[in-house]
Amino acid sequence: MRLSDASVAIRPRTAWEAMDLGVLMAREHRLLLTASWALVTLPVFILLSAALWKYPSTAIFLFWWFKPAFDRLPLYILSKALFGDTPSLNQAVRQWPRLLKGQLLASLTWRRLSLSRSFVMPVSQLEGLDGQARQKRLGVLQQRDAGAARWLTTVGVHLEIGLWFGCMALFYLFIPQNVEQNWDWQRLILATSSEGLWLEHLSNAFYALILVFWEPIYVACGFSLYLNRRTVLEAWDLELVFRRLRQRLSTAAPLLLLVIGLTFLPVNPPAMADESKPLSTQSASQSVKALLDKPPFKNPETVTRYRFGDDKPTVKNKDRGDSKLPAWLQALLDNLNSDTFKHFAQALEVLLWSLLIGGLALVAWRYRDWLRTFVSRRAPASPKVVKPAPTQLFGLALGAETLPTDIASTAEQLWATQPREALGLLYRGLLSRLLHDFNLPLKSADTEGQVLERVHQLEQPQLLAFSDELTRHWQNLAYGHRLPPTTIQQKLCSDWRALFSSGGPQ
Amino acid sequence: MPSTPLDTRYQIETPEGIDLPLRPAGLVPRVLAFAFDLLARGVIMGVLMVPLALLGNVGLGLGALLLFLVSWWYMVLFEVLNQGCSPGKQVMGLRVVQDDGTPVGWSASLIRNLLRFVDMLPFGYFLGAISCLQHPHFKRLGDLAAGTLVVYRERPLPRPQIPQAAALRLPFALDLNEQRAILGFAERQGELSAERVHELAAILAPSLQVSPARAAQQLNGVARGLLGPT
Repeated sequence: MRLSDASVAIRPRTAWEAMDLGVLMAREHRLLLTASWALVTLPVFILLSAALWKYPSTAIFLFWWFKPAFDRLPLYILSKALFGDTPSLNQAVRQWPRLLKGQLLASLTWRRLSLSRSFVMPVSQLEGLDGQARQKRLGVLQQRDAGAARWLTTVGVHLEIGLWFGCMALFYLFIPQNVEQNWDWQRLILATSSEGLWLEHLSNAFYALILVFWEPIYVACGFSLYLNRRTVLEAWDLELVFRRLRQRLSTAAPLLLLVIGLTFLPVNPPAMADESKPLSTQSASQSVKALLDKPPFKNPETVTRYRFGDDKPTVKNKDRGDSKLPAWLQALLDNLNSDTFKHFAQALEVLLWSLLIGGLALVAWRYRDWLRTFVSRRAPASPKVVKPAPTQLFGLALGAETLPTDIASTAEQLWATQPREALGLLYRGLLSRLLHDFNLPLKSADTEGQVLERVHQLEQPQLLAFSDELTRHWQNLAYGHRLPPTTIQQKLCSDWRALFSSGGPQ
Repeated sequence: MPSTPLDTRYQIETPEGIDLPLRPAGLVPRVLAFAFDLLARGVIMGVLMVPLALLGNVGLGLGALLLFLVSWWYMVLFEVLNQGCSPGKQVMGLRVVQDDGTPVGWSASLIRNLLRFVDMLPFGYFLGAISCLQHPHFKRLGDLAAGTLVVYRERPLPRPQIPQAAALRLPFALDLNEQRAILGFAERQGELSAERVHELAAILAPSLQVSPARAAQQLNGVARGLLGPT
């Protein structure tokens, strides 16, 4: 075992980190580990399943129970690979029967259920200790990290179960819908007959596949826990560095070392400061400044980009005292600062201000309508829109020109022959009067009832009574085809005359 | 044999040129932290559900809201507001950071915790466990998507005891590793057996120009010298 050949970084770690290193080791040799594990375990699994076809639970239990025997192979591979001597797949699998010798019975019986199984396995397999010596060794090793090893096994059990169920769920998800519908799950699961057996063997096979992935990782985690424990106990990391240091010193400068070594032991200067030159505060701060200006602390870089040049003139003005400007510019600037141009400047200022105000006024005038509409707080005076009076209501023409001059007598004449025309004429006349003489705001969408309501608002009881009666008779005739009695006909005509011929505008 | 030895460290170089070694945490401590958190959430729900159950339908509605809050926000709130530690991670000494070592933010924490449900597919963290075991920095799918990393927290170290010896100075230069090893030799003598201490010191006896028997004492003196006056 040469520590300098180790393929992992050797240093003391916490127990959890040591396990993580095991995961990385298993990852590094994943192909070899899983392939060898599969080559060894899957034939055994198939044999067990075939032999115990009727008892799938027993088959998987035996397979699970034999795990420590299989575990020896990944441990052998990992221990070889740790020092760079990775075996080939063929070599590894050939080694397995030889690895089974030695304490197989113990590991398969009373040590089988130990929770720190993977942690202590290297002691018997790699160190070859047995009996009292092994117990003493374990006592030293398990002073620490044994709890973590137990947690590793506990988590491992749950992980195996989780992955197993996950595999079955995955299998279930991949069953095509039409196949699934034909299956009677309850019958399959509960059946003790041979139909259900293959399903159980299938789930057993999933477990065997899960182990192909997980068990080498479990062994590697236990192995790295063991390695870490030994690294702490035996200070492997220090040995490694010390050996390198000795090699460096022995090859690099043996003679020099000898010469200096002779002088170094007798007189040891107690202080460690360099005495050659006295330090002063000034020189120290200077050297500190010089150091601080150098790259790791200050990284000057030149950036070229475009930007607005408005900073420049002010900078120039500020620099005036430094007389960096040419003389003519200086004179001009001085002139500008004196009172020579004062009046001119004032005039210019007035002009500019008046231009600004004038421009604003112009803009306000130009957009006065817009401003009045959107800015003014008063509501704009809405222009009086004179709605044209409707020319007809309910299909009755209302224009004054369509009516005869003496409506009442025309209606009396029509009563005998065309009562419908007569009543219609009266009603049309009423509406026309309302519209034109009383200026009722009738709309073409109004119904007879709404017209009556508007008449009501005029507060003329006579007119209202007449309108009410006329409307009622008109509706009876128009929609119900019921003629008003003759007395009513007479009354309506006389009322009309009373209302419109005497007091009306006619 | 790989050119660089396998290690669990994850090196980050900051813009100031400082190397930050982070130690990503693997499956086992994370599973235990998650189990603790699950238990804590179960206890919270159990305790709060009892009075809510007495309220009838209103209590049922409040309970549903509570379930939502606890299952979706427990991790996020703790991770963002408690420096990347949920209670379970606190117990296991873990914390969540971004890939570049900066504290985890709202978006990253939300993403990694929402994608828990992808990690859980198809059953019981199947994908998450496989991803965690296969990734060099032990990331599950949520971590990959959010660009986060679960690392071990740095714990304060107790001040190590160094055996008394007269301070010595070596005539040859030691690099940082070698200085650390000599200091470590002095600090860890309590854990090592006397034979092993002697054996280790004997390796350097020829270089130190002393007899192997005196080498351990000599190395302790060098360690004192490296440590400086204390």
